[in-house]
Parts: sequence; C-alpha cells; structure tokens
Amino acid sequence: MDHGVPGPERRTAVLISLEGITRHFVVGGETVRALQGVSFSVEKGEWVAIVGQSGSGKSTLMNVLGCLDTPTAGRYSLNGQDVQTLDDDALAQIRNKEIGFIFQTFQLLPRETALSNVELPLVYRGMRPKERRERARRALDQVQLSNRTHHRPNELSGGQRQRVAIARALVTEPSLLLADEPTGNLDSATGEEIMRLFAQLHQAGHTICLVTHEPKLAARCPRAIRISDGKIVADGPGPQVALEQQPLSRVGS
Amino acid sequence: MIRVVFFFKSVRVSLRELWVMLRVEVYEGARIALRSLGANRLRTLLTTGGIAIGVATLLAIVGIIQGLNASFERQLATMGTTSLYISKRKFGATGDDWQEARIRKDIDRAQMEVVKNECTYCTAVAPNIWYQADVSFLGNTINGVQLIGTTEEYIDVASYKMARGRFLNYSDDADQKHVVVLAADIAESLFPSSDPVGATVRIDDHPFRVIGTLERRGKMLDANWDKAVVMPLRTMRAYWGVFRSLTLIVGVDTADNMDLAVDQLTGIMRRARKTPADRPDDFAINRPEQLLDLYEKLTGGLYMVITGIGLITLIVGGIGIMNIMLVSVRERTREIGVRRALGARKRTIVLQFLMEAAAVSGVGGAIGTAVGLSAAKIVSLITPLAATVQVGTIFFGVGFGAVVGLVFGIWPAARAANLDPVEALRYE
Repeated sequence: MDHGVPGPERRTAVLISLEGITRHFVVGGETVRALQGVSFSVEKGEWVAIVGQSGSGKSTLMNVLGCLDTPTAGRYSLNGQDVQTLDDDALAQIRNKEIGFIFQTFQLLPRETALSNVELPLVYRGMRPKERRERARRALDQVQLSNRTHHRPNELSGGQRQRVAIARALVTEPSLLLADEPTGNLDSATGEEIMRLFAQLHQAGHTICLVTHEPKLAARCPRAIRISDGKIVADGPGPQVALEQQPLSRVGS
Repeated sequence: MIRVVFFFKSVRVSLRELWVMLRVEVYEGARIALRSLGANRLRTLLTTGGIAIGVATLLAIVGIIQGLNASFERQLATMGTTSLYISKRKFGATGDDWQEARIRKDIDRAQMEVVKNECTYCTAVAPNIWYQADVSFLGNTINGVQLIGTTEEYIDVASYKMARGRFLNYSDDADQKHVVVLAADIAESLFPSSDPVGATVRIDDHPFRVIGTLERRGKMLDANWDKAVVMPLRTMRAYWGVFRSLTLIVGVDTADNMDLAVDQLTGIMRRARKTPADRPDDFAINRPEQLLDLYEKLTGGLYMVITGIGLITLIVGGIGIMNIMLVSVRERTREIGVRRALGARKRTIVLQFLMEAAAVSGVGGAIGTAVGLSAAKIVSLITPLAATVQVGTIFFGVGFGAVVGLVFGIWPAARAANLDPVEALRYE
C-alpha cells in the first residue's frame, strides 16, 4: 500500500479501452469518416451513455464496441483482449461470451417462444439443452417474466418483448450490456420501466453502454460520452454532458 | 514426455470441440431447419415435389434399364454358359464385316469332324442350320416356326431338356429320317390335349413323325426357343438351305477352360479350313457374352440419353430448391443478423441453411423413390419390360435427393453466412 503499486484489481478494472479508433466507409466512391480517432475507456461496473444526433457516428461506435464491425484503424481492447486482430469466428465467440445486445427493435425471433429466444445465445455456446433451459428461466426471472416463458413475441407487449431481449442479453453473463436505443420503440411509461431495469442491473454490478440520441436518457446515466461528427466532444457525468447540449440546440432554433 | 502429454491433451480438446460442434451445429441446425420448413408448409411441399419428380423419373428409368439388362442376361443364359458358337462371322457383324464374312468358305461337316476328333476341351459338338417354315397338324398351322437342323449331340450343348419321347440319334441323321422333336410352344399349340409323340406333323407340306418334345427354354431377344422344331441336319438339308454354312455349337468341359478352348479351336479350325498362315482367321469363335457387349453397345447410347433426361429433371428440381433458399435467406436476413450478433459463426449459418435444403430435397428424394419404384413396378406389370428394384436404389434415391439439395443449397447458404451482421440487423 505504501509503495503505491497498483494492485491486480486496478488493472483488470478496465473493461473497454479504445485508442484512436477510426472507421471509414466508402459509399459511392466517397469516403465517409464515421469515426475519427475516438479514444476512451470504460471500467467494470460503469453505466455509460453514448449520446449523439443521428449521423454523429454513435451507431458505428456501437457496432465497433459490439464487435459487429471492425475499425479501419485504432486499438480496441475488450476485457483484456485485443479485438481488432481477431478473425470472424473469434469475433463471433467474443460477441457470444462478452457482449449482451439489446436492440431498439428487440430483434426477437418471431417463431420462437420467449424461453427459446433467451436460450439462443447459449445454443451457440454448445450448452446442453437442460442446462440452458434452466439458465434461460433464471434470466427471465431476473426481468420478472417467469410467467411468460412460453409466449411468442407477438403475444407480448412492447415492454415485455424488450425485457425478453434483456433476459437474452443477461443469460450469457456477459461483461458488457450494449443497448441501442432500448426505449426508442416504447411509450414513455414502458420506457421508464426499462430504464429502471437498467438502473437495477447497474446496481447489481453490470457494465452497461447505452447508445441514445436522447439527452434525457443520457442525463440519467452516471457517465455520458457525447459524440458528434465522429469525434468525442464531451465526456463526463451524465446530467452535465446532457445539459451541455441545451445551449447548442438553442442556437439553432 | 511433455510432447506425449501435449499430444493427448490436444487430441482430447479437439474431440470435445468436435462433439460440441456436432451438437450445436448439426443438431441445432437440423432443428432450426425443420422448424422453418414447418412454417412454410405449402412452399416446402412444392419444392419437395420438384425434387420428388426428378428422383422418381430417374429411378423409374434406372429401374427399367436394370430390368432390361437383367432380363437380357437371363436370356443369354439360355444359350449355355459353357457353349461356344463357331461360325463364319462374328456375332453382331455389320456392314463391311458382314459382306466380307459372306464370301468366306462355308463351315462343313468335314471341319466339324476334325473339331470333334481334335478338341480336348470339348464335351460335345453339334452342327446347326436354321430356317423358318410353317408347321401344321390336323388343319392347325403355325407360321414362321424356327427349324433347327442338327445332330444327336445338340441336346448336350443347347439348354434344352427332353419332356417326352426321345431326342435325335445317330441313325436319324445318317439315314435322313423324317423325324422331329417339338419345342414346348409347338407341342402345346398343336397337341393341346393329346400326346404328340408318334403323331405326324406337316412342315411346308412334308410329313414328319414326332419322336419327342422339349421342355421350355425361354426367349433370346426376338427369338423364341420354344417356337421351334428340331430335325436331323441331313433331312433338313434335303429340303431347306442346302448351301448354308454350319454353325458349330461346342460344349466346353468347364467355364475355366473357355479361353484355352478358344485358342485350341482357333488352331484346329485354321488347319481344317487350310487358312494360309499369313491370313487372319476366316471364321469366328463366338461366346454368348459377346452378345452382351453388342447389346450394351446398342442400348448404351439410348440409356445415356434417357438417364440424362432424368438428371435434367432433377437439376430443374435443384434450381427450384436454390430459388426457394434464396427467398428464404432474404426473408430471414434479420434473423441471420440476430443469430450472428448472438454468436453464431459463419459455418453455423451455412450448416443451418444447407440442412434446410438437404431436408427438403431428402424428403423429396424419399417421396420420389417411392413414386419412381412404383412406376417401375407398374411398368413391369403392364408391359413385357421387367423392371427390377434393388434395395441399393432406395438409398441411392434418398441420398441423391439430399445431395442435390446440398449442391444447390451451397450458394444461398454462403450468401446467408456472408451477410454483414450490421446490415442484416438493419434490414427491413
């Protein structure tokens, strides 16, 4: 302690580390610079909002964070693994083990029951049916849907569907929950319900990245990163970053 | 030591990985495939139908061809498996060969006697000439009966067996007796209720006494062995085909000695016919199997064409599968994106779609097999074509269907796997 040497728990506390991430697309012969040197890190247990207007690059950033897309340049390390060097199969495995996706449109498989939907990521892990059913049940318990296990998505309300999706994200015990506009397709009361669920998950120690265009939602996160034109323009406590927006948007009006 | 441990460890890991892969990718792939097929029943049914028609066509064709071949081989056996046919020309000679053989020296009895005396592998030698004539008894006439002129040894080399009476003997031929032995069809048609032995039949208006009848022997191509009359060679020569060359039918002691017998007979015949040493053989020693080659030469092209038609039908079915799989991939773009996001590898997606295609076409193959085999059976019942069905054909049908599915499913499956997950998730 006296020597000031950082303990091993200090080193492992960093979950996400981005250094100089750029992502360029070539669309119709023109290069779109969606991300231009983004660097930040997220520690385990943090709840971070990534906030920005559409076209700001936040979706690209989310795809990179979720290992669905690989950056043109830069270094991305997730839970101690350098992701940008991995091949397609290894990325699929990272997505399966480390990341729980929550989408704006829920992205549940319409023909499968809630339980089967939640089981799906465990199928790709090679888990035996009995064990994965057990774990899927527990995950549905966690989102208070244990009475809806055999319903299909079209028999569930929007909020219930999103909770099934959250259970699907939780079932693999991922190191990162990556939520893309999770309340975007929900009415405000249901959205509020989902936000409370996120708060609970944060309390329980989950690391959450919430990608949104709504400053209101960002304001409820302990930390928010504002992205604009592919660059980070603010990084700080959620309410503060969310408020910074206000003067700017007023200039326009 | 370390290497060995490492070796075992690495083997154990890969076996486990293999097991997991089998369970996850094959079992789950199959489950997903079956579900999606169940969800689009009509479409599945129609696609299955396409493959079923292809497999059915192919199997019916194959069944009929196999049946024809089998029946030809049975017919061939009626010529005797250890018999050689020495004649002026080769079986199946056509065109110039046939013309050339026409002017060759005839095979006569003197040559036959040399063969009889010198051939050590031969058990019997019988001369043969043929003619067509009308045979009648008490106003009943049968037209176009095969007359066979021969000697007493014919019964030992031909696949005939006596039914009643006796066969020809030495003096029947030596004394040119007017005696005949009736084959089964003739005996039954002319003497439906009485014993033909002792009766007198008329052949082209010449009287002949029946001394015996033969058991059924079967058919050989268009020749019906049972619509024949056997008489002494010299007697037949007196009325029909005086200038005809003989065909010598030679019985060889064992099937193993056939090659040796052919070599020996070639030498004997060349000497007997005084063939100059610098000239090729001016006769042919034919084996029944040569007819098989000839038959295959004649029918092979036809079989290829009709098998080709069957294959084309199957390809059309396969294109149907490919089409439907492309539709399925497009419809399920988002699902593919979700699966990829949740950790499915490319090969998992490929397998899922391949199994879907293989399942459709495998079921199609099974239905097609049932239909095709029934068709072959019906053909064999209502036409003289005998279709045979082998157990192997059934596996072939189902397997072939599945392979068609795999082949035509590869491209759609690869398209599915190569979708960009980001794009796929956004697909509306």
